[in-house]
Amino acid sequence: MPGLLMAQPCQLKVWGRIQDGHSLDPIAFANVYFKEAQQGAVSDANGFFEIPPLCQGSYHVSVSHIGCQTKELYLTVTHDTTLLLQLEHHSQIMDELAIAATAIQEATTQELMLIDAYAISQNTDKNMANMLDNLAGVSTLRNGNNIAKPVVNGLYGNRLILLNNGVAQSGQQWGADHSPEIDPLAADKITVIKGVSALAYQGSNLGSAILINPQKIDSEPHFHGKIRYFFESNGLGNGLNIRVQKHHQKFAWSLVGTAKKKGDSRAAAYYLTNTGAVEGDFSLQMEYTHNTALKSDFFLSSFNAKLGVLRGAHIGNLTDLEEALTRSAPFYTQDQFSYQINAPYQKINHHLLKWHTAYLLDEDHKFDFTYAIQKDLRKEFDVRRGGRSDIPSLNLNQHSNFIEIKYKGYFSNDWEITSGIQLNRTDNFNESGTGILPLIPDYISFETGLFAMATKKTEQFSFELGGRYDYLDQSVATISTGIPKAIKRYYNFAHNIGLAGGGSYAFSNGMDLSYNLGLASRNPGINERYSNGLHQGVSGIEEGDPDLGSEQSLKNTLSWGGKINTKILYEILYFDQAIENYIFLNPQNEFRSTIRGTFPVFKYAQTRARIFGWDFTSTFLFSDSFNASFRASFLKGTDIENNSPLIYLPSNNLLLTFNYQIPKIGNWDQIDLELSNKYVFEQKNILLNQDFVNPPEGYHLMGIKISGERQLDRNRLNMFLRIDNLFNVSYRDYLNRQRYFADDLGINVIVGLSLNF
Amino acid sequence: MKIFFQTKPLILSSIFISLITIVSCSDDPEDPIVENEEEVITTLTYTLTPFKGGSAVVLSYRDLDGDGDGEPTITNGTLSPATTYTGALTLLNETESPAESITEEIEEEDADHQFFFVTTMSDLQIVYADTDSNGNPLGLLTSVTTGEAGSGIIQVILRHKPDKIASGVASGDITSAGGETDIDIEFAVTVE
Repeated sequence: MPGLLMAQPCQLKVWGRIQDGHSLDPIAFANVYFKEAQQGAVSDANGFFEIPPLCQGSYHVSVSHIGCQTKELYLTVTHDTTLLLQLEHHSQIMDELAIAATAIQEATTQELMLIDAYAISQNTDKNMANMLDNLAGVSTLRNGNNIAKPVVNGLYGNRLILLNNGVAQSGQQWGADHSPEIDPLAADKITVIKGVSALAYQGSNLGSAILINPQKIDSEPHFHGKIRYFFESNGLGNGLNIRVQKHHQKFAWSLVGTAKKKGDSRAAAYYLTNTGAVEGDFSLQMEYTHNTALKSDFFLSSFNAKLGVLRGAHIGNLTDLEEALTRSAPFYTQDQFSYQINAPYQKINHHLLKWHTAYLLDEDHKFDFTYAIQKDLRKEFDVRRGGRSDIPSLNLNQHSNFIEIKYKGYFSNDWEITSGIQLNRTDNFNESGTGILPLIPDYISFETGLFAMATKKTEQFSFELGGRYDYLDQSVATISTGIPKAIKRYYNFAHNIGLAGGGSYAFSNGMDLSYNLGLASRNPGINERYSNGLHQGVSGIEEGDPDLGSEQSLKNTLSWGGKINTKILYEILYFDQAIENYIFLNPQNEFRSTIRGTFPVFKYAQTRARIFGWDFTSTFLFSDSFNASFRASFLKGTDIENNSPLIYLPSNNLLLTFNYQIPKIGNWDQIDLELSNKYVFEQKNILLNQDFVNPPEGYHLMGIKISGERQLDRNRLNMFLRIDNLFNVSYRDYLNRQRYFADDLGINVIVGLSLNF
Repeated sequence: MKIFFQTKPLILSSIFISLITIVSCSDDPEDPIVENEEEVITTLTYTLTPFKGGSAVVLSYRDLDGDGDGEPTITNGTLSPATTYTGALTLLNETESPAESITEEIEEEDADHQFFFVTTMSDLQIVYADTDSNGNPLGLLTSVTTGEAGSGIIQVILRHKPDKIASGVASGDITSAGGETDIDIEFAVTVE
């Protein structure tokens, strides 16, 4: 036999089939390419492909298809070979949910939404919150385009948990002008959980969670990587992201670096002066397999950014704000573009170090041990007198330590038990030398949490039930605003209980129904209790209340999805959340005189609130290559006690996209054309006296995207061209605090390249 | 479970040590440093000295607790009719001891600052008597001329980084000045 092989070393047949990893449906027009041989093939309607005869040897193989993350393989061909390849498909919503459900095993009856690696690579220019913005039920709270935080079903900041690589993101989550310090280009997958899954995670939240997971290191013995680059016309931004990795027998590593720089953005009619940004991030991931039962991994990441804030948004008093509201272009608007970032701006550094060890006792019992340290440094610079603009007005240093021990076991009758203990210590400290009394005090918080969850999964039915207990011990040192200044200490203790249960049922006709009920508590944020003084950005005096108690929320989510004639896929989610002791900023009938003029006074208060709404997602498959998808989100929040609307909740919105796919044109394949329409309604659920100005009118934005792939020598190149706000519409968004001063972004043309090597 | 405890004493003990470390750190934060608030303006004094001699009228505004809920102390004044006064503004930060002169800071950055004077009395005139390094008005020194007897308000506004060449700004019209307001106070004035 060896003789026979030697005789025809370059006549080996390789053929196979490509399937969807979940539905197992064949995938047509997928591209399979053997790099060393420079030979490839495209799959037919039944997913079959055949590569021209190959020589014996080892090959790097790439398998790509529209809407799928390109799959890279390394294989040795010694005989005629048949390959069965599975791809993770992205564009169909049902599959999206299936992928997400397997990604997060803790969350089986939860409503999940997902941004996968493919979607991330088509939006490399965006920050994390902006990437999530097009998901149903997810909005973005902004302070200009650089500073953005996600809002899920109306909740954000302290009410929403962000898990970066399994660790609750520490930092200044309390402010509307603090965006999460996470580089989305280091992530492989961003998942939004809308139910009450968050039981397994520590940190204050009222149910919803966003999980950011890094890419796993491929088991590939060679040095490989990916280079991504983008250019955006609005702000003349450039970004570069490089990922390299190598997998040895027991040890594997990957390294990711990101660098971004942009200058002043432009609204439809004028430059947004001083809105440039610079960012530099890296992360290092290492895995070591001690033996089949013991594995350790190590993760180190560093996020560093300097973010400009619109110069015209810096005001001194209410008169300045009123004047700004009537201006057509903000004050200080320059008629020239600049990369310069002057005060006001923010400088942020966030570092995470995580060590995780997994130990398999036997096939059915697993222990996880995690230790993480986070350091969050935030400096905010204002326009100041006497050459003090270079001295930060706010200089916060937060240090946190986290330990988690988790157990997971599989038992008879398909039961699965997860349980754990978590300890977290946060030390928040104001660096001295700012020359300004700190907005929030120094504090040390210590949290202990215990949780247990049981889930049962069968073909049709899944069920889960869980509970959580948290103890908070917080020591706060405030400085009084009276005269003389005195240090006043507060000690807070709180016991919080969380409970959640849910079930889902898959009907034989492809319909899915799931229901979730969860009770959660949130301790008041440090700002809600102790902030005291003038909030420059909003021209109001905010006063905290040290006596605030915890918020309790009861959230119901009901989701129902299915298929009609295999041509229409749909899913509807209804949620209804009652929040007892909901903390909000209550405008007082009081104006306070200061030397800068008089300011309205706002006090943190508690009330009984209800937030309910629905998210609808559907896809119409006109043909294999042409589909349309429609998303709609409606939400209403009410202060039941005072019978008034809740402020700063997202406006209702609609998104309609058309997608057309072409397998091949010339040297390009996997060509994808997309036209998107987004309509955001005016926020009508608000009273006149709740804001300085009426909410902005509704707006309609159109966008297009063209993407395609081609083989470049032995490497695979993916390219996209995207135009946002195609018609350069002037608009303002209710959730963007910059709306008091300026229009939102005008047209933006983005070109992105991605090269796998 | 038993096997786990026997075979992994190292892991267990390291977990235990970490727990102890973390728990024992649950202490009080140190006393925070009370910032020296150098930038704060607590006190504005507008001294109006009759051009032809006589005792000066002193208008003053003093608010030591800044944004706090303590009320400011305001001293209003009475001027003589048809009289020209030299108006001089002084600014202090009295949270520091000894009090720091903010007037000096304004003088050092005169191109970035301008005072504006708005009055409800139609025959009261306030004109600039000083200029900044670019030859534009500043307003630390003014010339105030009263008309007939009456009463009204004088509003004193300090703008940081205004547009000094915008129309009307040089003659004291605040409409197009822009910038950020650092001071905005009112005095009740009687002319008799």
